[in-house]
Amino acid sequence: MKIKLETIFKGALATFVGMSMAFTANIAFADYPEKDITFIVPYSPGGGSDQMARRLQPGLEKALGVNVRIVYKTGGGGAVGFSELHRSKPDGYTISNVVVPNVILSSKGDGVGYKPGDFEYIGMTESAVGALMVPKDSPYKSLDAFVAAAKEKPGMLTVAGVGGTGADRWGALADILGIETTYVPVSGGVGKMMPMLAGSHVDAGMTASNHATKHSSIVDALVVAGTQEVGTLKGVPFEPEWSYVTTWGIMAPPGTPADIVATLNAALNEAASDPSVADTLGKAGYNTIIQTIDEVNAFMDAQIKAYE
Amino acid sequence: MIEALFIALSPSYLMYMTIGILLGLIVGTLPGLTATMGTALLVPFTFALPTGEGIAMLGGLYVCAMFSDAIPACLVNTPGTPAAMATAFDGHPMVKQGRGQEAIVAACFSSALGTMFGAACYLLLAWPMISIALKFGPPEFFWLGIFALTIIGSLAGDSILKGLAGGAIGLLISCIGISHATELNRFTMNIPELRGGVSLVAALIGVFAVPQVLSMVLGLRKQEYIAEYRAEKGVILKTMIKVLSKPIHFLRSASIGSFIGILPGAGSPIAAIVSYNEAVRWSKDKTKFGKGNIHGVTASEIANNSAAPAAMIPLVTLGVPGSSPAAVIAGALMLRGLNPGPELFATDGVLVYSFGWSMFIAGIVVFFVGLLATPLLVKVIKIPLRLLAPLIMFLAIIGAYAIRNNIFDVYLMLAIGIFVFLARRLGFHPGPIGLGFILGPIIEPSLVQALYISDAVGVQKIFFSGTINITLISLSILSITAVALSRFKARRAAKLA
Repeated sequence: MKIKLETIFKGALATFVGMSMAFTANIAFADYPEKDITFIVPYSPGGGSDQMARRLQPGLEKALGVNVRIVYKTGGGGAVGFSELHRSKPDGYTISNVVVPNVILSSKGDGVGYKPGDFEYIGMTESAVGALMVPKDSPYKSLDAFVAAAKEKPGMLTVAGVGGTGADRWGALADILGIETTYVPVSGGVGKMMPMLAGSHVDAGMTASNHATKHSSIVDALVVAGTQEVGTLKGVPFEPEWSYVTTWGIMAPPGTPADIVATLNAALNEAASDPSVADTLGKAGYNTIIQTIDEVNAFMDAQIKAYE
Repeated sequence: MIEALFIALSPSYLMYMTIGILLGLIVGTLPGLTATMGTALLVPFTFALPTGEGIAMLGGLYVCAMFSDAIPACLVNTPGTPAAMATAFDGHPMVKQGRGQEAIVAACFSSALGTMFGAACYLLLAWPMISIALKFGPPEFFWLGIFALTIIGSLAGDSILKGLAGGAIGLLISCIGISHATELNRFTMNIPELRGGVSLVAALIGVFAVPQVLSMVLGLRKQEYIAEYRAEKGVILKTMIKVLSKPIHFLRSASIGSFIGILPGAGSPIAAIVSYNEAVRWSKDKTKFGKGNIHGVTASEIANNSAAPAAMIPLVTLGVPGSSPAAVIAGALMLRGLNPGPELFATDGVLVYSFGWSMFIAGIVVFFVGLLATPLLVKVIKIPLRLLAPLIMFLAIIGAYAIRNNIFDVYLMLAIGIFVFLARRLGFHPGPIGLGFILGPIIEPSLVQALYISDAVGVQKIFFSGTINITLISLSILSITAVALSRFKARRAAKLA
């Protein structure tokens, strides 16, 4: 009798354990998310990525039904935050901004510890193309005037850009235009470049087109990258051969389960399609993007190939 | 502008601004929690408020943190934010002489006056000041940094050589990480965390807090408290009179502070350093500085506070923030769909001016909040060292971690701390090392940019022409010559005696 009781007890226990495991498993996969999500911003507070995160935060919280907590892990041109995400548990409770091509370019440094192909991409939300801009009182009122001046005195015109990435991107445009200039690297982002332009300490600056829109009281854009006009910079010529595009989105650690990525993708698209978000982006000179998971993966594959 | 004043005086503005100020008191007092971090943490909460109240709250936090960072600087020789480094030079010796209350009241009163001066510049002189500030390009920033370095002459203590070596160590440590222009790894030793560079805040906590704790522990058997302290009657009024009795000193410190505050990228720490340096230069008795001179505290605090409202000037005139907390406030505005910049005067002029008035009023509120808090704060001196030392260590570790949420910064802080502790025993002053940290990120990128530009226009033209360059170079030479002369005289006097 005693033995039998014990067997029943064991059986009951096993059933209980089994049931509770099934229950927790159920929560882990079907009822994601059940706790707050950490959103890593790999750049400084107030910058472009932070603004993107803050813009999407209310929509994400509404769609997912949990809080989204923003933390800053800055440094190394984004590498510190990206590698932090790379090390995080792939359970969908840690996500981060991704900036393309920064995530690809930063992974080339030695000892970074991640490859851009490792991450699970949730979706891209906005993009901006490159723009060459001059101060308001610049003697070069058009791209032709700028190119003519640069050809007249090769290497005498100065063009500011952000860091070494900027050097490559400016080099590409300078080759297309067939000119030779002196590149001046600015550290600490576009915020430092605008005063240099406003004070005419350099002849021109090169960065993403949204900055030309935001600072239209200081600078005039001469040319933008891509195959079409930028909505907020009417009448500025575009250069189809210049392929400078910056794209912002969200990603999760490598190995995050597909259904969690799908949940996040749906939430992100819901947040990004909010009319107020789209309106803010449009006015600020960005292109709005809504992507399925297949689209974002195809986009990333193409981008990684392009920068290899 | 008058309409904006009435808006800034409305009860809801005053209430939220005061909440911001109280938060700023906490943020500034804790080393590691900087004004940047405090404003960034507060931004989400301001979304529940109308824009005007929201940014008044952020502005209140910012200016109050520029005062309250003086509290740990004076009491335990650990600046609450990088801007209070120069405050500690004289503030801590004052506390050691039993003048704790006087030091805090002086910091509070001069912070309040500085804030009001900076806010007045924002309200009245925004456009003329920004047009001068725009004349500062890479070479001008470089010479400004070099000029600020000459303060080593008055900090170095017994050996000028050790002072210079300390400054060089600080500058070298600030070079760690990916280089600004060419993105080369420098001194990173394959440690990924070092690629982003050494965090300034963690490094400063290491330079000031850790050696302080270690020497407290070593001196435990000899000393039970930081200093003697008794509350004195009438100290508040006496201190205020002392501050007011030097109007030229006030005007000089406040003008330096506001002007350097406008320069994008320079900010409050550099304002305080340059102002302290000038206070020493213009003083009749230079030897009193660094040994508890009240005007050392006021020079630093007037300047770092007037730099805070002034850092908003480039934001509203150019759309470019003058400091990191100003950048966060810019972000808060942009998230509301407002475009900070000259257009804001046309579209939301009342907002621009009511913000200026809010900062002006914040100066007054900071004074009263500070006065009320002082009796409580100076009680820190009454904590026995065996409790205070672990408490400071605890706050230092939290602070170093909090700035980037990275445990590596804590290890780095401890390593720098132990290094500086040992260096101090060899006669090095921690001031020049901290100075190197703060100035490195200004001097190096501007030197590199100026050199690149010199490829196009020539070295002579870029570095050695232009009124501002010549002025800064002359001031630097003057500074160095003065230090050399006074040291020579002191040595001769010592020999004769």
